Amino acid sequence: MPFNQKPQKFNAKINDVTIGSGDKTVTFGGDCTFPFYSFDAESENSPKIGVEISDMGLEGVSEGIKAYYEGATTMGEIAQKAAAMEGADFVALILEGGDPNGVNKSIDELIEVVKEVAAAVDCPLVVEGCKNVEKDAELLPKVAEALQGRNALILSEKEENYKAIGAAAGLAYNQIVGAESAVDINLAKQLNVVTTQLGVDAKKIVMNIGSAAAGYGYEYVVSTMDRIKGAALGQNDNMLQMPIITPVSAETWNVKEATASEKDMPEWGPQDERGIDMEVETAAADLAAGSDAVILRHPESVKTISKLIKALA
Amino acid sequence: MLIDRIFNGNDAVYGLTVQAVDGAIAQHGADKAVGFPHTAYCLPCYYAVTGVKVKTLGEMKEALGVVKTLMTREQQLDDALMSGVATALCAEFIEALKYLDGAEPYSEPCYGHLADSIIREMGVPLVTGDIPGVAVILGSAPTAKEGVDLIKSYQAQGILVTLVGGIIDQAQELGLKMGYNVRIVPLGKEVTSVIHVVSVALRAALIFGNVTPGDAASLLTYTKDRVPAFVNAFKPVDDVILAAGAGAIKLGFPVITNEDENVEEVPGALIGCANVADFNKVSLEARNIKIKITKIDIPVAFASAFEGEIIRRKDMQVEFDGSRVDCAELVQTREMSEVEDHKITVVGPEVDEMEFGSKNSIAYVVEVAGKKMQPDFEPVIERKFHNYINCIEGVYHTGQRDMQRIRIGIEAFNAGFRIKHIGEVLYSQVKNEFDAVVDKCQVTIYTDPAECTRIRHEVAIPVFDKRDERLDSLTDESVDVYYSCILCQAFSPSHVCVVTPERLGLCGAVSWLDAKATNQLDPAGPCQVITKERPIDENLGSYEDVDEAVQKFSQGALEHVTLYSIMQDPMTSCGCFECICGIEPFSNGVVIANREYAGMTPLGMTFPEMASMTGGGVQTPGFMGHGKHFISSKKFMKAEGGIERIVWMPKELKETVAERLNKTAKELYGIDNFTDMVGDESIATDPEALVEFLTEKGHPALSMDPMM
Amino acid sequence: MALNGIQIFKLTPKKNCKECGCPTCMAFSMKVAQGALKIEQCPHMSEEALASLSEATAPPMKTIKIGTGDGEFSLGGETVLFRHEKTFVSKTRYAVALCTDMSDEEVEAKLAEIPHVDYDRIGERMHVELVYVNCGENADAAKFTALVEKAKGLGRTLILGCTDPEIAKAALEVCKDGKPVLNGANASNYEAMSQVATDAGVVLGVSGKDLDELYDTTAALEKLGNKNLVLDTTGADIKETFANTVQVRRAALKNQDRTFGYPSIVNLVKIAKGDKHLQAALASMFTMKYGSIVVMEQLTYAEALPLFGLRQNVFTDPQKPMKVEPGIYPLNGADENSLVVTTVDFALTYFVVSGELERSGVPLNLVINDAGGLSVLTSWAAGKFSGNSISEYIKENVEPKVKCRRLVIPGKVAVLKGDLEAKLPGWEIIVGPREAVQLVKFLKDLDA
Repeated sequence: MPFNQKPQKFNAKINDVTIGSGDKTVTFGGDCTFPFYSFDAESENSPKIGVEISDMGLEGVSEGIKAYYEGATTMGEIAQKAAAMEGADFVALILEGGDPNGVNKSIDELIEVVKEVAAAVDCPLVVEGCKNVEKDAELLPKVAEALQGRNALILSEKEENYKAIGAAAGLAYNQIVGAESAVDINLAKQLNVVTTQLGVDAKKIVMNIGSAAAGYGYEYVVSTMDRIKGAALGQNDNMLQMPIITPVSAETWNVKEATASEKDMPEWGPQDERGIDMEVETAAADLAAGSDAVILRHPESVKTISKLIKALA
Repeated sequence: MLIDRIFNGNDAVYGLTVQAVDGAIAQHGADKAVGFPHTAYCLPCYYAVTGVKVKTLGEMKEALGVVKTLMTREQQLDDALMSGVATALCAEFIEALKYLDGAEPYSEPCYGHLADSIIREMGVPLVTGDIPGVAVILGSAPTAKEGVDLIKSYQAQGILVTLVGGIIDQAQELGLKMGYNVRIVPLGKEVTSVIHVVSVALRAALIFGNVTPGDAASLLTYTKDRVPAFVNAFKPVDDVILAAGAGAIKLGFPVITNEDENVEEVPGALIGCANVADFNKVSLEARNIKIKITKIDIPVAFASAFEGEIIRRKDMQVEFDGSRVDCAELVQTREMSEVEDHKITVVGPEVDEMEFGSKNSIAYVVEVAGKKMQPDFEPVIERKFHNYINCIEGVYHTGQRDMQRIRIGIEAFNAGFRIKHIGEVLYSQVKNEFDAVVDKCQVTIYTDPAECTRIRHEVAIPVFDKRDERLDSLTDESVDVYYSCILCQAFSPSHVCVVTPERLGLCGAVSWLDAKATNQLDPAGPCQVITKERPIDENLGSYEDVDEAVQKFSQGALEHVTLYSIMQDPMTSCGCFECICGIEPFSNGVVIANREYAGMTPLGMTFPEMASMTGGGVQTPGFMGHGKHFISSKKFMKAEGGIERIVWMPKELKETVAERLNKTAKELYGIDNFTDMVGDESIATDPEALVEFLTEKGHPALSMDPMM
Repeated sequence: MALNGIQIFKLTPKKNCKECGCPTCMAFSMKVAQGALKIEQCPHMSEEALASLSEATAPPMKTIKIGTGDGEFSLGGETVLFRHEKTFVSKTRYAVALCTDMSDEEVEAKLAEIPHVDYDRIGERMHVELVYVNCGENADAAKFTALVEKAKGLGRTLILGCTDPEIAKAALEVCKDGKPVLNGANASNYEAMSQVATDAGVVLGVSGKDLDELYDTTAALEKLGNKNLVLDTTGADIKETFANTVQVRRAALKNQDRTFGYPSIVNLVKIAKGDKHLQAALASMFTMKYGSIVVMEQLTYAEALPLFGLRQNVFTDPQKPMKVEPGIYPLNGADENSLVVTTVDFALTYFVVSGELERSGVPLNLVINDAGGLSVLTSWAAGKFSGNSISEYIKENVEPKVKCRRLVIPGKVAVLKGDLEAKLPGWEIIVGPREAVQLVKFLKDLDA
């Protein structure tokens, strides 16, 4: 008696959201199964990978990343190299220098960087704010304005500033709105509800449900994604059917496992390797849980995750 | 009369427009291009209303024919208002003609037509409420000073002010700094230039509201609901201005005027207001605009960091103590007309008139009004006072109702802190946190001892008594809806609390009134309305509506929940429960253990063991988590016979609930001192000894129907 | 359909004899329903009751034990597909592979490398728990046995990858006392392999060319009476392996197909094909999705740090948050004069807070006391992070060791300030920020 396969069919699917313009676009989402369950139904679209670059240039990046970008001196050149990385689908610019508790660059200064990057590459763009809710509320609407016509993903609005960012990105300047919540299905849903109430089209929202590096409270990420995918597909909950993007590198390159130097932790071995594995293992877990796109930094990570996605597609 | 004047004004403008268009065609030909600069919406108002783009003079001529069809002449208000819209469209054509051949008809300080980019930029603060409203000021104020004061009052509130007509000269005369960057935009000196602000509102609907051009109904709904604009028209208001005003009213923008001749008021739409100084207040109220308070005007800091600060006797300037003298704190719901927003009154001596280190009376009454305000929210607001007053640097608060105690520290006093500042804090916090229900708020603080006695005994205590009565009389049957609460889902993903008047959340912290208030204040939040229109079994407390809600909020993990049974589809538990009850088969009853109890129960399980089986949002028939308060509820496992089933509780818990539980037992079954029949750890921790005790006491559970 | 505690209770003798170890029949029934005890542990069940219950209460997936002593591990026994539905109970175990095809130098290098990763993370020892010893095609019994002997020297529980019953038998002779896994049964050899495994008293690993064959072979082994199995779900490539592993688990738990109710072995050596980063990604993926044993070519610190962290997270009980040990954690080279900062023992809070504190570079003593493993506001509300609990801990444990008398408390419990000032005379109580991300700036401003 052979094995009785019982495919799990859903009458619902994750929204497909396209970013980018012209012939350089990339689509997130679109599947109607749990991640990589191609034995249940053919996959419509596989997860995508973004390469993260920072307005801070190559300051503080690991050896391997620095080596890859060797020769690139301007933000434009860095962006071009990022776009050319093997396995890259889009470029994600993080404006971390805007953080008022950090370097606190002015909005004008950051917008110049955004413009420079946008002019240098024609690939789909994601722009991440500085994470400070007040600053982002001012900064990201300006980013949305500066990128008119690029159909970029603006990461991200939060509960505290969704009106300013959601209205600017989703209504005034026709970009894609990134909705970020703190690893909780109900908060994620609530943010989607209020964002659509602003008038933003539900099909123009991509969620960042919150992320963590492996080992750092990652269980919340797993369960939140599992539940969101379960509700989106099983319950046909259209306020949870937005695709999920996970900025992996911003978390993984800040944890001890990636930042401790080999000098401080000789038994741990080369720092670059640790950073790659932290990034790769976290990204693989995110994809297994349901991320439709991940943002990475190291060329080796991008290559590896791209290989993984192709192998599973 | 009013209607005829509007028709007249409309006819006059229409006539002028036909003339102007014909004249332009004669001069330039019908193919001559026409339009405003820097807009993708051609003639934006006409395009928004009809869905047709007008690009040439010939098309404009055709469009005039369409406008004519709006100008019906029945003596109905709506005909008049549609004529107002027609007037506005005519004004747009007249203005558009000024821009022929790339002309620049407007110059400093006037803006005329506003580009799309300004609307995109301005739309964001409008959506976020950073620009809480748009004022359109039309005509000349009685004096330049009054006009400028009015403009400045709006500017101070963050409202965008647009100016049309003589007011522009008046503002210039007094040297008022104007410009888009200071949110004062002079449009033009002719009345037709008012169309440029209408154009902003309509393009906002297209850009931000995704309204399809030509879908006039959606367009009007959007401007009415989402564009917080209003008109202030100074007298004299002639027929043309009246016709334009009718257009504004059709868009949902009320017109406030000091004209008192030949106009009649239309409630909520055309409002008379003799005194220009009152325009601001009347306008905001008419348009329901709420100004966010960003800064509290007090001489010391206000932050949650000061919440835990304690003022000791030696650091204290004065204190107020409800346990010794008459004090009270109270929220009262009033009619809109009875409350003057931000009025703060102190009745009695200020702190500097009080003796250093003295004990004084204080009573503060916060009167609130709002379209959605309900007396049930009063205690919810009141309970926040403790937190508000404690967050003031150098001020300390404990207790509530008429038992509060407040200390004002020496440093706060020296920094200038006075009684009236308590009023400022209460006012701004209530307005900010409860803006969904509170539209207006005024605070009266009594320090006069006699007044405090009066307020406490004649006002506050009767209110508190009435509230307690209402709480006691609230039953599951007496309300129309229940509420869900999913605050705990972060820990317990599939758990959903169904909160009813007689069954508060199992954490013990969320009552039905709390859930109701949470729902009103945060409609997309954790507490949602659950209807109870389709009962399946009233004894079990099962409803189709409740099942549907639980299914939805648990993302399908739960299908059925009963409100009153622990055996059949009992309500799930998250893990925050104060108590767990579990079936004790040998005595045919239930054992209750509370979280604090560390010992063994006659079930052979400790609280943590029971918790591990009950928590996590799973249904475990025979076991259920609940709040302490629920133990004395008439709905406690009503389906299985109610509180008569309780056979054992830890001693401490038993003592806590005894009074209320005994009262319920007396009421339901006529049993006196029911808790004497209930076992505890000093009597038995195994079923055999428990049954022996229960038999001896004649506990009713022993002779009830078997639970399973 | 699983039975609930009440249904089970009805079938018990209701004597409260305590012979099962539980004080009451009710407590026993509840534990059986939870899967914590087996119905057979009641000595007074009637035959009929037992028969009807054992089928109904048998878990959908068997718990298989391997190894002995410190190296004993439970595999399987899962009841849910997603951790939020209840909890995952048996952690993924990682094996590093040796093979008879390796040169002596390679083997020696591996043997030296395996014990290298060994550290503690939140009270759990992290190390390579299993060693997979593979018998290559051309190896004979002597060669394989020799390698097994060497591997055995590491003191880790072994998995023997061998499809030849005779060679397997010989190798088991030297290692069966350590309760290794014999992974090598397939459609063509299962009878003999089952005999070898049963004789040695070890768990047998089963594989098949596809899911149908795996299913049939497993069913055939069960028919022979061998239910001490693990299923090798490794397929020809990554995609097939993932599909097999997920479907086997899902068939058992969702569709109650008991034939697939066994733990799995996923052999990454076969599918990662020497790409070490890809192997790391796959190890993570199969930790998330249903690998009971994951076999890897290497497991150095680079792979291990995130992997063990991930495992620790994924296998926590959603209702029992991870706790950090109470204590004084000096950060950034703090000494007895450094500032004191406190927060709760909830692991997530601890990690986030300590990460930010480290980022600040300010030397300070992070004091953690027992707050029940809850977040700041929750433990405060539960009375476990209170003026009493903090002040007592500080008096008993901190005052003797630290000279600094400035204490920063989380902004969310600003309300404790006054109480702490009263209970900790001589201390300056400083209210910190509400969110950890604001700590760096807060400390900078505090210094200034």
